[in-house]
Amino acid sequence: MAVLGTAGRARAERLRRVWAERHGVLGWLTTTDHKRIGLLYLFTSLAFFLAGGVEALLLRTQLVRPDNGLLSPSAYNQLFTMHGVTMIFLFVIPLSIGAFGNYLLPLMIGARDLAFPRLNAFSYWVFVAAGLFVYVSLPLGSAPDAGWFDYVPLADREFSPGPNIDFYCLGIIFVGISTTATAVNFIVTVFKLRAPGMSLNRMPLFCFAMLAVSFAIVFALPPLTVAAAFLELDRQVGTHFYDIAGGGDPVLWQHLFWIFGHPEVYIIILPAFGIATSIIPAFARRRMVAFPLVALAELLVAFIGFGVWAHHMFAVGLATVTAVYFAAASLIIVIPSAIQLFAWLTTLVTGRPQFATPLLWIVGFIVFFIVGGLSGVMFAAIPFDQQAHDTYFVVAHFHFVIFGAAVFPLIGGLYYWFPKVTGRMYREGLGKASFWLAFAGTALTFFPMHIVGLLGMPRRQYTYPPDLGWTGLNVLETVGSYVLAAGLLLVAANLAWSCIRGPASGEDPFDGATLEWAASSPPAPYNFAVIPTVTSPYPMWDERDREQDVRNAEAGRLVLDQGHVTPATTVIDGEWDEALDMPSDSPWPLAAAAALALVFTFLLTGHWTTALVFLGAAGAAAVAWHAREAAAELVTRRALPNGWWGMAVFLATEAALFGSLIGSYSYLRFTSADWPQGAIEPPSVALPLALTAVLVLSVVPMRAAEVAARRQRTRAALRWLAVAFALQAGYLAVQIVSYVDELGTFTPATNAYGSIYFSLLGAHHAHVALGLGLMAWLLVRLAGGLTEYRVTAVRAIALYWYVVGAIAVFVVATQVSPA
Amino acid sequence: MSAWRQRLPCVLVALWAAALSGCGGEQSALEPRSGPARDIATLWWWMLAVATVVFAGAVGLLVLAWLRRRRVGAPVVGEREGFDLGMVVLFGMGVPAVALIALFVVGNFVVMPGTDAPAASRAQMRIDVIGAQWFWKVRYPGSGVVTANEIHIPARTRVNVTATTADVIHSFWIPQLNRKIDMVPGRRNRVLLYADRPGRYRGQCAEFCGLQHSHMAMYVIAESPPRFRAWLAQQARPAAEPGGALAQRGERVFMEHQCSSCHTIRGTPAAGEVGPDLTHVGRRTTLAALTLPNTPRELAAWIRDPQYFKPGNRMPALDLDRSEIEAVAAYLEGLE
Repeated sequence: MAVLGTAGRARAERLRRVWAERHGVLGWLTTTDHKRIGLLYLFTSLAFFLAGGVEALLLRTQLVRPDNGLLSPSAYNQLFTMHGVTMIFLFVIPLSIGAFGNYLLPLMIGARDLAFPRLNAFSYWVFVAAGLFVYVSLPLGSAPDAGWFDYVPLADREFSPGPNIDFYCLGIIFVGISTTATAVNFIVTVFKLRAPGMSLNRMPLFCFAMLAVSFAIVFALPPLTVAAAFLELDRQVGTHFYDIAGGGDPVLWQHLFWIFGHPEVYIIILPAFGIATSIIPAFARRRMVAFPLVALAELLVAFIGFGVWAHHMFAVGLATVTAVYFAAASLIIVIPSAIQLFAWLTTLVTGRPQFATPLLWIVGFIVFFIVGGLSGVMFAAIPFDQQAHDTYFVVAHFHFVIFGAAVFPLIGGLYYWFPKVTGRMYREGLGKASFWLAFAGTALTFFPMHIVGLLGMPRRQYTYPPDLGWTGLNVLETVGSYVLAAGLLLVAANLAWSCIRGPASGEDPFDGATLEWAASSPPAPYNFAVIPTVTSPYPMWDERDREQDVRNAEAGRLVLDQGHVTPATTVIDGEWDEALDMPSDSPWPLAAAAALALVFTFLLTGHWTTALVFLGAAGAAAVAWHAREAAAELVTRRALPNGWWGMAVFLATEAALFGSLIGSYSYLRFTSADWPQGAIEPPSVALPLALTAVLVLSVVPMRAAEVAARRQRTRAALRWLAVAFALQAGYLAVQIVSYVDELGTFTPATNAYGSIYFSLLGAHHAHVALGLGLMAWLLVRLAGGLTEYRVTAVRAIALYWYVVGAIAVFVVATQVSPA
Repeated sequence: MSAWRQRLPCVLVALWAAALSGCGGEQSALEPRSGPARDIATLWWWMLAVATVVFAGAVGLLVLAWLRRRRVGAPVVGEREGFDLGMVVLFGMGVPAVALIALFVVGNFVVMPGTDAPAASRAQMRIDVIGAQWFWKVRYPGSGVVTANEIHIPARTRVNVTATTADVIHSFWIPQLNRKIDMVPGRRNRVLLYADRPGRYRGQCAEFCGLQHSHMAMYVIAESPPRFRAWLAQQARPAAEPGGALAQRGERVFMEHQCSSCHTIRGTPAAGEVGPDLTHVGRRTTLAALTLPNTPRELAAWIRDPQYFKPGNRMPALDLDRSEIEAVAAYLEGLE
């Protein structure tokens, strides 16, 4: 922001008071400021990066010579598993989405915070708790040790009797809660909080990447959650999802895992694409070539990524038709990646690139992305895939992609936004040196792995014999890993030193294109003294708009200094909708996350009742969290409120969860000779159908309540809600009686049919029970009168029940299908 | 053409690796010894050649950008947008589409059928290989022969391997002969083995299977068909009677201690199913899935402390004194 006049400064001062948070440690514990949460994510994820990096160095040191005895096989297996789990779940995603996304997304779209600031704090604390939960296992000597892919039956109780895999299953589910909550937050933020004038086609490509990632997370994590829950049930309750003797199938795990696992690759790399498309225009001094194609490609990559999972399973013995289909889909996904690659290259060639440190890291990214991409394409030739599969060739391929291509831009981004976050400049010479060290180290570590893999070295070997020609290459790889570590340490040293001693950088040292450079460095708690005017995807290069900002600040237009507010706009066109009163710092997200941590701890130790008690505590924290209402008067909005959108995205992930459950049911059914298995009677048809009809019918009073609430007829709304509540509660009561009754004839431990039958229905009943909790909360709230906040609550919870009704139809159809 | 095919691999491997580690050994996918493995290796070299061209082109653009870094003035934007977009469409969509379709057709319709597992009627012979933590059980249906870790096949013969597992998922892989196939509970996967000429080909479990995944290797030993038939006939016989007092004592120790509850020796009361069949263990060249060479000294050392060589494996160190161990080793070495 250019220099403000007297009136502008007075307004900025008022904003500072309004947006101030608590000082000291308490301030950090209760913060809802996206920038502070972003920094918390940054330091936490870097700590996990350090842990994962040390693990990698230990692995490489063990492999420096044949028959080495540095690590026992058990230690080696734990370390390579933890290396994978750490880097994927606790480092890359929290750094790219948690730190970069959190810090930059609101700044880039001209907002003052994310759509749900307390949910954001909750995401962070859940992530910390989940990370610690997983890492406690390491000093106990019981770290997960079946690989991050955790294939069954190796991960079953029979072959892994210790708690190692329980840490894995529960930890994965736990950290998924955090990631999903962040994705919901980002989607609503991108849809609703863009500065007036920022229509979707003017949104920076970084934000498109974050949007694509968030959608991928919403739909990709539920299959993983379901897979891990099945495994934990197999281990602790004796169900038979993956147990061939009990009618299950270990390949079900692989399908569920890779339906998550391949989109996950794009979840990891899309933020890197976003960072590249931020840095390249700034240093090439020109706009991105083919902007709409690149935006489309980012979204397409995330979408097609869901259709390629079985290319991880070509050696399982799939039918040829299936394998060839997945090979074709895997080739199609190359196209959007190639579009982006040549858009970056053409932008660089036709621009006037300045090869400063951030751009160097992007150049490294492009080189490694090409290497990893080209080797990846080769796997679509199935015979070659089955030769290279599970060898070091694959290790080379995916490290070029998810280290070279995903992490290099993150480090480039650390340099690029360092002046914005700290207000200081890093040292350019050291920055370049760190790049060349890390570049050489990466190439030296991972390139020889291609060769050693083709020479026949399988992955996940704690040792290897001396006479197969692998030794020299392994020495090179190990040397490379230490060079790489030195490069990364130099990055850390450069940034740490510059943080204290670096020269002041000013607001916009790189002449960047996007709105974060309009904020001060470091940005004020309110981000923008005046909500920026936007007329293109490169707002900082539109000088007249920035001059308009200064005039607005003087005139008090778009300053919004009357309260803790940020503008909300319409989803597509980004037109002004309303000024949103934003929540401020709160202790409840931390409390809820702590209660959840205890839930997972007691699930691990098998104290289920205690876990249930703490689940209640987490619910209580959630209620306390929502005690204070946003101080909005009743207004007529043009668009749907944030609360409704948040619920909609949450329900999308719920639908994906039930989709995974129903998909698993179908899989088990069609791989089983008889269904229901064993001597179990087919389910009765009449009662489930009648009950579901009642539940679906409850949608009518919900709709009536919604209409009444929007017309501000409080009593009518209450009445309709009560009717709906009675129907829903009656439904659940009868369902539970029937559930318990059926448990008398067969159980989840009888066979795979019992396992999936009771799990599917149990999940559905839990879904209904959660809805009843929401209804009870709503009824209490509404009894105190109607506010804008409560109208939104009615609309969001009504949406919840519409979706529950729809899911109920699918669940009951699946349930009665054998009859 | 075929001479070029033969030479190119060696040239490039020499460039890449030979100076560093010597050309690959008996487990290298780049030294194929069968038609299917050779087709896959040729596919690889072609893919490498195309990939090298693509890589060079893309890096060339980066170099071009670097050369143009000192141009004066702001870049002209907007005038040549059609050209810029054309670049992206041509190289981001057009060229990849052609290359990908070619790869798809060649990889999955030309090369794949030749490497597929043969239909039962088209194979000349079948072998059942069962993966177990951490060794390979090998059965020759119809002959009663059971062995472990060293799979004898006749050369120039299409052998259908049925790959199953006794516990967790393993993966059967002989890189010089063909692509790999997983051994999954509840599935009977098949893979074609064919060797051009007699020789020894090393293979290894390729799917992580627990503590001793690293020590789960095997040899495929291809012999001329007459020699193979002789081998099979010899293997079909029950175990030889122990010759000499030491070996006889060894047999007694073997049967009286837990050895016989885990191992089978056909023709004796030992009928355990946990460990490898030892009926003709003296004929094998290695122990414990290629962990040790099979000599009396190594065998005695293994019996004394199997956990030292292969930590976590299923065989416990038994409470045997030195002379008992030597006797058991002598007995087993005599089982030829």
